[in-house]
Amino acid sequence: MSPISPVTTSPLTPIPVPPTTTNPQSPIPTAQLYACLHRPPAGDHPADVPDTLSTVAREFSPRFECHGPDLVSIDVSGLDRLIGPPHTIGEELRRAVAARGIRGHVAIAATRTAALVVAVTRPGVTIVARGEEAGALAPIPLGILEKIGDHDRASGSARLKASPSAEEREAFSQAIAVFKRWGLTTLGELAALPPADLAARMGKHALAWQALARGEDTRPLIPTLDEERFDATLELEWPIEELEPLSFVLTRLLEPLSTRLERRDRGAAVLHVLLRLVTREIYARRLELPTPMRDVRTLRTLALLDLESHPPGAGVDRVTIVIDPTPGRVVQHTLFTRAQPTPEQVSTLLARLGALMGSDRFGAPAVVDSYRPGAFAMTSFAVDHRDPSGERTDRADSADSASNASASNVVSVLRRCRQPVPARVAVADGRPVRVTTDRRGFAGGAVAHCAGPWRTSGDWWETSGGSGRSGESGRSESPRASSTDSPTCLACPTRPTSWNRDEWDVSLSDGAVYRVFRDRDTDAWFIDAIVD
Amino acid sequence: MALARADLESLLRARRLDRTLTTALPPVDPHDDAAVAPSGIPSLDARLGGGLRRGHVSEIVGARSSGRTSLLLQTVAASTTRGELVALVDALDMFDVESAAAAGIDLARLLWIRGHVVTNPGLCADMNQRALEQAIRAFTLVLQAGNFGLVVLDVAEAPTQAIRRLPFTTWMRVQRMVEGSQTACLLVGSEPMARSSAGLTLRLANRGLGVVDSGLGGLGSGGSGIRFGALLFDGLTVDARVVRARYGDRDETGITLNTRAAECA
Repeated sequence: MSPISPVTTSPLTPIPVPPTTTNPQSPIPTAQLYACLHRPPAGDHPADVPDTLSTVAREFSPRFECHGPDLVSIDVSGLDRLIGPPHTIGEELRRAVAARGIRGHVAIAATRTAALVVAVTRPGVTIVARGEEAGALAPIPLGILEKIGDHDRASGSARLKASPSAEEREAFSQAIAVFKRWGLTTLGELAALPPADLAARMGKHALAWQALARGEDTRPLIPTLDEERFDATLELEWPIEELEPLSFVLTRLLEPLSTRLERRDRGAAVLHVLLRLVTREIYARRLELPTPMRDVRTLRTLALLDLESHPPGAGVDRVTIVIDPTPGRVVQHTLFTRAQPTPEQVSTLLARLGALMGSDRFGAPAVVDSYRPGAFAMTSFAVDHRDPSGERTDRADSADSASNASASNVVSVLRRCRQPVPARVAVADGRPVRVTTDRRGFAGGAVAHCAGPWRTSGDWWETSGGSGRSGESGRSESPRASSTDSPTCLACPTRPTSWNRDEWDVSLSDGAVYRVFRDRDTDAWFIDAIVD
Repeated sequence: MALARADLESLLRARRLDRTLTTALPPVDPHDDAAVAPSGIPSLDARLGGGLRRGHVSEIVGARSSGRTSLLLQTVAASTTRGELVALVDALDMFDVESAAAAGIDLARLLWIRGHVVTNPGLCADMNQRALEQAIRAFTLVLQAGNFGLVVLDVAEAPTQAIRRLPFTTWMRVQRMVEGSQTACLLVGSEPMARSSAGLTLRLANRGLGVVDSGLGGLGSGGSGIRFGALLFDGLTVDARVVRARYGDRDETGITLNTRAAECA
């Protein structure tokens, strides 16, 4: 048995395998033992069971790594006490795979790399003796390195990588081509090259490939973890009719889930509330959370507010909570920026406002690209307004940039009448001289001064089937909200109507300044806005 | 013998009741961003001691076309420019988005809550009263959420009777909610409504019915509250006066604000 090379600081040093032997009958000491299952690309296996090898591996050991749907590495160290010597382990693995209708290859070796390479190249069950990994791999053609592909390239680094980048794959392909030009045909020939000269010509990545050719591990096995489900169910002894007792049930279910999420550094992205009713129906609610969160109170509040708005139609006798996890949100607090509501606070506030006012009555306003007077859109109010730079706005900068306001530079704004107020306007010489209305709060009066008319019109091309509204009511109505093409727009678009009006700014004797318009289609006058 | 005001205040301080009814508050650094919310108008901010006090209820009141909405949107624009989140409870749904954009408001930082007030309820007159109360509830929800830089309740066009019918404890609760927080609370109305709960009341008034033609041709004499050019409405000239201030000196000298019509696109 070859002596163990001392561990150096080079990242390419293979992991030494302790030479202890516990079973004198076995050719391979059982301190470290790896098995590899490979499903060849032939068409004699069920095509609709992609996780078959993982399922088989899970039956033998909790430590296994999936390199793909057709290749799995298993740490079978210690299984000799349960199953027997390595060839018995190999036979059991082959039998388990065959029981699922797959004629797979099984290889067992002291290193994971050797088992992997042998499993891909040799059919049946192959046992590689300890210390003979290089010899077992030597006659294998060099092309196997390309066939292995993304499965186990270490790229010259012991650091664990998910998958090589496109540049690394390109570099690898070029290296294989160079090896072939040198006349190398087998892994043994590659392994026999002097490492220093190889590294000098091909770079340090070549040392990793050489280690692979010798069957040496350059990184440990990375166990594939089962996807953990975050769900909890509670059967109730008595059906619940109201929401208040349901809040206690939700708290009881959410608290352990929140703890598990915290341990896994996960947050809830989607919250599913499944209520089994006394009618045996399942009433399901799905809440998409705006930001990953795991605070119990926030989750419970959002769930209750949603159920308040959409109550189940019968009593509940079973409650199930299912959480779709997502990586937790990293928050770094700072003392130098102004405190803002957390996403959880904003989410809860928006949910409460939705329950109180309706989901279409709040949001962030947006200007639309339209000449329609009073056009706007409502968009979702973002829950996270943190400045990525995390820098506090300098007071001097804000004073300069705050619309450069001064006592003489404040923009005159309007208060828009969402439904224009019908008015009676007396006209002399083409100009309004008196404005009166029947609406309480709009007394009207004589016109002190006016400016106009300003003619505006639009959407007349949409009148086919859409202008009936304008004609029927005798006035053109500004829609409550105009839609945009933005997918985040909340406002439901009303049917666009054309408008054709002459607008005036008038100041009345009572000191009020209005924007009035005359609908040119109906010759009716309206108060559109108040200048304030 | 009637108690002098100073005697009464000292008596309240002795009983530790001064924080609710008197002006025994520590002085505020007008340059401290965390203590005041500047409106962005230097002359007005200087009069207010830096701006609207955070943790207090302030009011902007005035008649129609007195410039209160222009001042409101200017204040909101200054807040959003500083990176703060602003919530506007628009009880009568009269907020004009185009005007807000022209005033320089960062609309993405504005949470606009539109009331359900019906402008012509007919026989269902109490519908609007309920809608007003709903707007108040939304207002308190936002205050409870906390950490908004500025929270505004705009009831400027609501009937006076409807405002007076609100329970008198409403504004005391609002004042308690914002006390000690970093939120500047602003009420906009036709007349003062928060009474003793308000830390500041700013009254705006149009300079008068006189209209001055700021372009070609004279029109009249007298006040210059409403300015019309040769073809366009130019803006308003308003007086802003502090009519109530729990903190600082109550200087009733007016400040003149000139609003200008937004430029056409």
